[in-house]
Amino acid sequence: MTTKRRLGKLGLYGGMLVALVVFVGPFLYAVLSSLKQPSELNGVEKNFLPGTLYTENYTNLFRTSNFPVYLVNSLVVAVVTTTLSLLIAILAGYALARFKFAGNRLLLLSVVNMQMFPAVLMAVPLYKILRELDMLNSRTGLTIVYVTLALPFCIWMMRNYFLTVPIEVEEAALIDGCNMFTALWRVALPPALPGAAAAGAFCVVNVWDEFLYANTFIDSDENRTLSVGLNSLIGQYTTDWGQLLAGGVVMTIPVVIIFAFLQRYLTQIAGGGVKG
Amino acid sequence: MRQRLTALSPFLYLLPALVALAGVLGYPVLDAVWTSLKHSVPTDPSADRFTGLANYRAIFGNGAFWTALGHTGLWALANLVLQLTIGFGLALLMHQKLAGRALFRSVVIIPWVVPSVVVAVIWRYLLDPTSGPLNQLLMSTGLTQEPVLWLANQATAMPVVILLSVWKWTPFVAVILLAGLQAIPEELHEAAMIDGAGLWGRLLHVVVPGIRTSLTLASLLTIGYSVNNFNGIWLFTQGGPIGATETLTTFAYRKAFTEFDFGSAAAVAVVLFAGLFVVSTAYFFSVEGRKGRKL
Repeated sequence: MTTKRRLGKLGLYGGMLVALVVFVGPFLYAVLSSLKQPSELNGVEKNFLPGTLYTENYTNLFRTSNFPVYLVNSLVVAVVTTTLSLLIAILAGYALARFKFAGNRLLLLSVVNMQMFPAVLMAVPLYKILRELDMLNSRTGLTIVYVTLALPFCIWMMRNYFLTVPIEVEEAALIDGCNMFTALWRVALPPALPGAAAAGAFCVVNVWDEFLYANTFIDSDENRTLSVGLNSLIGQYTTDWGQLLAGGVVMTIPVVIIFAFLQRYLTQIAGGGVKG
Repeated sequence: MRQRLTALSPFLYLLPALVALAGVLGYPVLDAVWTSLKHSVPTDPSADRFTGLANYRAIFGNGAFWTALGHTGLWALANLVLQLTIGFGLALLMHQKLAGRALFRSVVIIPWVVPSVVVAVIWRYLLDPTSGPLNQLLMSTGLTQEPVLWLANQATAMPVVILLSVWKWTPFVAVILLAGLQAIPEELHEAAMIDGAGLWGRLLHVVVPGIRTSLTLASLLTIGYSVNNFNGIWLFTQGGPIGATETLTTFAYRKAFTEFDFGSAAAVAVVLFAGLFVVSTAYFFSVEGRKGRKL
C-alpha cells in the first residue's frame, strides 16, 4: 500500500468518526443524560458521564406519569394499523401489478400523489368526518385515519414487489387447480414477503412518529399516543428533563429493534416513503 | 392467465383499498377544496356559506401568508442543498470497504429512526438556555457571556430548525444514494482507473452519472417531505418566535385550529398541494421511467 493510499484510508476513518460524532453523538449523550440525577441534569454538578447509575428517571416514568398508558395506546394503534394496511395493500398491489384494466396507470399515479397530500390539507376535513362519526378522541378513529395514510405507500411498494415475481409460477398453480386467491397467498406472496416486511416497518415507524393528527383529534390523556403524550410531559415552567429523556429512549427502542431486523430492506423503506 | 380472469376481478382485489382511499383520502381532499370556497367555522356549522374565491383573495392579500411562503421556500431549498451534499458524503463513507462498515451503516442512520418527538426532546434539552449542555459549554469556555436562546431568538431560530431537520433526514437521503452507489458495476471503476482517471475523475465521470436516478429520487422526496413538514418546526418553535419560523404548514394549522378559520386554512392547504402535485407527478414518472413500461 502506498503512502498516498494509506493517507486516503486514514482520511476515510476520520470522516467516519466525524459522521458518528455528528449523527450518533447527540443521541448517545441523551441516553447518558437519562441516567443522570437532577442535580447533574440542571447543571449544578457538571459531569459529562453520569456520576452514579441513576435509574429513577425510568422508574418514575412508569410509576408516576401516564407514560405506560401512552405506550399501550401506541402499540395497539400501530399493530392494528399495520395489519389492516398490509392486508388491504397486498390485495390492491397484486391487482395493480397483475391485471390490465382501464385506469390502471391513472390509479397508480393517484396513489403516488396521495403520498404527497400535505397532512395539514387533510387535518380539517378529517376532523369534520371524525366529528360526524362521533370518533373524535377515539383510538379507533385515529387508527382508521392512519390506515389510509399508510395505504398509498404500502400499495405502491407491494405492486412494485409483485412485478418482480415471475408470473409463470402462478399460471402453473392455476393450471394445477388453485383458485386466484390461493394462487396469490400461496404462490405470489411468499417471494414478495420482503416487500411486505419493508412496508410493515414503514407503517409502524410512521404511526410511532405521527404527531399532527394525534394532537388534533385526541384530547383526553387516556387515549393519547406516545408522540403527543411525551410532548405533553414537557412542563410549561419546569421541565423534568430526566423523565423526558428516559421517555424518549424507551420510545426509540421499538423502532431501533425493527430497523435492526430489517437492515437489508433499508433502501426500500427509504425509497418510496414520504414523511411529513 | 389474463384470459381466465373476468374484467371484474381486479376490482375485487382493489375494493377494500378503493373504499378506504375514497373515504379517508379522496373525500377529504374534495371537501378541503370545497371548504376553501366557503366561510367555515367549526364552532358553528350552520354559519357555513359559499363565498367563492374570497378565502384565496384574503390569504393572497395577507402579508403573513407571503412570509410563510418565503420561509417554506427557504426551508425547502436549504434542506435540499444540505441534505444532498452531506448525504452524498455520508453515502460514500457507508459504501467504502472499511473495517466496521456494517456497524457504521446501522448506527449512523439513528437520527432517521428516532421519532420526531424524541428528536425534539433531545435537542430541546441540548439547546436549553439554563440547563442545556451546549450553552454551559459555550459559557464555561468563555465563548459567550450569557446563554444563547437558540430557539427563542428571531435570528437563530430558522437556521437552528433547518440544521435539526438536516440532522434528522440526511441519513435517509444517504440510504437512497447508497442504493445508487451499490448499483454501479465495479468494472466501470476499473475501466476508468485503467484509463488513468484519478479519484476526482472517477467521482465526476463514474459515480455522479451512476447515481443520477437516485439523486433525482432523493431530491424529489426531500422537496416533498420538507415542504410538507410540520413536526420539524411545530415541535421546536410552533412557527415562532414572532413568526420567524412560520411556514405554510404551521400557518395553515394555526388558521384552522387556533383561529378556527377552516375556510382560509383549506385555501392555504390547497395552494400547498397544488405545488406538491407537480413534484409527486415528476417522482412517479422518474420511477416508472427507470423501470420501463412493465404494464
